[in-house]
Amino acid sequence: MMIPQFKYYRPKSLNELKNILGELQDSSRILAGGTDIVPGFIQESQRFTAISNLIDINHISDLKVIKIIDGYISIGSAVTFSEITKNELIKKSFPLLVKAAQTLGSLQIRNKATIVGNFVNNAPCADSVPPLLVYDASIKITSPENERIISLNEFLLTPYETQLNKNECVTEIRIPILKNNFIGDFYKLGRRSAVSISRITLAFLLLEEDKIIKEFRIASGAITPIGKRFYELESSSICKEVNSETFMEIASKLGEQILKTTGLRWSTSYKLPVVQQMLYQLLEKNIGTRSE
Amino acid sequence: MNINFKLNGKETTFNLTKNKRLIDLLREDLNLTGTKEGCSIGECGACTVIINGKAVNSCLVLAQQVDECEVITVEGLAEGDKLTELQKNFLKYGAIQCGFCTPGMLMSAYALFLENPTPSEEEVKTAIEGNLCRCTGYKPIIQAITAISKQ
Repeated sequence: MMIPQFKYYRPKSLNELKNILGELQDSSRILAGGTDIVPGFIQESQRFTAISNLIDINHISDLKVIKIIDGYISIGSAVTFSEITKNELIKKSFPLLVKAAQTLGSLQIRNKATIVGNFVNNAPCADSVPPLLVYDASIKITSPENERIISLNEFLLTPYETQLNKNECVTEIRIPILKNNFIGDFYKLGRRSAVSISRITLAFLLLEEDKIIKEFRIASGAITPIGKRFYELESSSICKEVNSETFMEIASKLGEQILKTTGLRWSTSYKLPVVQQMLYQLLEKNIGTRSE
Repeated sequence: MNINFKLNGKETTFNLTKNKRLIDLLREDLNLTGTKEGCSIGECGACTVIINGKAVNSCLVLAQQVDECEVITVEGLAEGDKLTELQKNFLKYGAIQCGFCTPGMLMSAYALFLENPTPSEEEVKTAIEGNLCRCTGYKPIIQAITAISKQ
């Protein structure tokens, strides 16, 4: 049970951060909330024990900001989940994200953990990922030489692996504000409500017009290897009538898509019918009863 | 690295010669053993302290991170022998069994009152959702905290 003897850096500005990233050749990591890294040291996780430089970004004021820019909301990479749950802009525009943020970990965790850290760590069960995916979030990555913006969906590769290079830091999430009146929900299934590792998470957004589905977005977490959008299912749902039969068909297809992704697992016989029922009930609850 | 921080109201400087967690700095170097270590991975809340007004798990914080911060531990609640109302209520309602979770529970409750002087029972439950009581004596704990809200 040892904390490695990494070198600790604490840049005060983005420029200073870039300089540090440029100078360091050794294995370095960004420290934001630290709620994955610090227990990772204690558990001697191989993902963290070899860190030789730790760069604490919590003192860069530009990264603590939540703001509106040209039709999207920008969230800095040092913004915590507690700050997300209290922000009026986010509450108004991204209720699914707030719901996921409120149920994540415990208050103590939410007071430290950052939303960017949640997907940079890219655990299969990262609660904020499915909502960010259905909101079509993109991210800004800064390196000493340049900046790049890519979609979150592209950024996430495999469990605990992302497109982030060694000399890079995610500095911002950008979530486009929805122009239309989408209905949506987030649901988390865990063994208890707090400090729980999610077994299944689902996030969906649906746009209906005259009882017809105009747009549908759905993403899952925990039940798939990483947070995942189901584009095929989304496009096949468009133009369908909004009714229980359609909901049942979508829910059933979601199960098929998940099975395609994961193959048979020991937990499949339990989880598959549960996830199908979860989505069916979510759609009925949010849209079905509303349209009657 | 020298870390300068306000600890239980007192300006404190510590010369950190090796990397460690805040909980180790508190317990081993500063002899503040009121903060307990349970799970070491942020699940039990026994090590809860307050940093800049917010409850956090001190097992998930590096000592370097409290530089320039204000930290309150359970030792910072009472003034000498004079307990706070919150601590008195824990005694009055029998909110202590084995006592291991008590410092963490007190700190989570104290952080709640810093932000909201009159929390509802639901808000009390959310504030302590990250604090595990292995004796399962949650009811008197919730009563002891909620009673302050009514006072």
